[in-house]
Amino acid sequence: MADTAAPVRVTDCGCATPFGDAAATHAALLRGERALVPARVLGKEGGDPVPLALIPGRTLDEDAPPGWLPTVRRLAASMPEGDWGSPRRPVFVTGSNFGVGGLYALRRSGDLAFAAWGAPPTCTERLREDLGWGPDVSILSHACVSAHLGLLEASRAVESGLAEEALVLSFDFLSPFVAGGFHALKILNADFPAPYRERPSGAIGLGDGAAFAVLSRGRGEWVLEGQSLFNEMHHFTSNQPDASGFTECLGPVAAAARGRRIWFKGHGTGTLEAGRMEVRAAAQAFPGSPLVGWKGSLGHTLGSCGLVELAIAIESVKAGRTPGTIGDEAPAMGDNVAFSGFANGEFDGVVCASNAFGGAHAAFLLTHA
Amino acid sequence: MPDPLIPRLKQLIVETLRLEDVTPADIADSEPLLGGGLSLDSIDALELVVRLEKEFGIKIASSEEARSAMASVASLAAYVRERGDPSRLPS
Repeated sequence: MADTAAPVRVTDCGCATPFGDAAATHAALLRGERALVPARVLGKEGGDPVPLALIPGRTLDEDAPPGWLPTVRRLAASMPEGDWGSPRRPVFVTGSNFGVGGLYALRRSGDLAFAAWGAPPTCTERLREDLGWGPDVSILSHACVSAHLGLLEASRAVESGLAEEALVLSFDFLSPFVAGGFHALKILNADFPAPYRERPSGAIGLGDGAAFAVLSRGRGEWVLEGQSLFNEMHHFTSNQPDASGFTECLGPVAAAARGRRIWFKGHGTGTLEAGRMEVRAAAQAFPGSPLVGWKGSLGHTLGSCGLVELAIAIESVKAGRTPGTIGDEAPAMGDNVAFSGFANGEFDGVVCASNAFGGAHAAFLLTHA
Repeated sequence: MPDPLIPRLKQLIVETLRLEDVTPADIADSEPLLGGGLSLDSIDALELVVRLEKEFGIKIASSEEARSAMASVASLAAYVRERGDPSRLPS
């Protein structure tokens, strides 16, 4: 029986990025490497070159079964064994796009094989069968805070005693449909992203990413505290101009972190307005805390970013060194932004934050038990 | 002499964004398109950018460039004149 007074902990966590697993990704980020490379935004149909980071061996174009399935299988093989998908070990699958690119491929080709993976329920059901899970699988999607939402729901299941352990799996793999959408908005363009840098125009990159975390009570080295979600409901694509959504979200996390020295892993996609807001809100809520963002190398892994970057944050604490913010040499948006890596042994924890379309904000504090 | 591109852009804005109760004549040349009286937002801007790129063969590089070009119909006309395919522009 779980100890219902103990905090929720992460007992296991891992990720898959174009650099490899969490340890390989952390090492590459410390070396300042960039996974993003120029690629045609519509895959084999061409289009403008934009910065994309794909898992090696995968193409942007859709396949059926999807070309990303081997990556998820490899990641699943690194998860602890157990009767996942049973009532006491539920699974929470999160992402922002699932196989939506498959629907676009279906529309263009008429090949019904694409439909099998083209929507969250069908995609998750195929995965459930493929990975041998039971029926207790929930699907959660809330744009780029999807992984945070999965962590929160899994925490509640564990906290309430309903679940002994919970598995959160998050993945987002790029497709011409997804890349084309961001390109139409012009925030995915020819430039490489430089998060938290004052440049004439903003730019993001997009990356493949998948990650998992196992949560339980009273076991594991990593404690999740102050989990916070806040939705401004301001606009599809923009935040309240006064950055109040960032501030509202970070309030409970700052309260949980009071009296402790923390570093801050921000969202930092490379857009200008949101970057400025995040830099300011982080400095106000966590004075003196260095802020880093890793999307200048990995690209934005969309709904999975919260979990992918959690795995890298854990790796950073294990290794005692936090990778800095990768970008270019334009002036910083604030004094709190750390562009060089730093030793993190003197810190008590890390705040991990993500933001999403719709004015959704999410953050939590991660400490070493 | 007024630029014939201006009325064409106004017509295109009304059509593309399916503006109700707004005619091309209601849009002033200097009226801000985003955040002004038309109350266009970033989703409207997205639709307009896609249409402008197809219609005039222009390439808008970034969201900041799009915002700057859409400061008003007059600035949009100047932007399209400078970067558009001449064969697709009214003379």
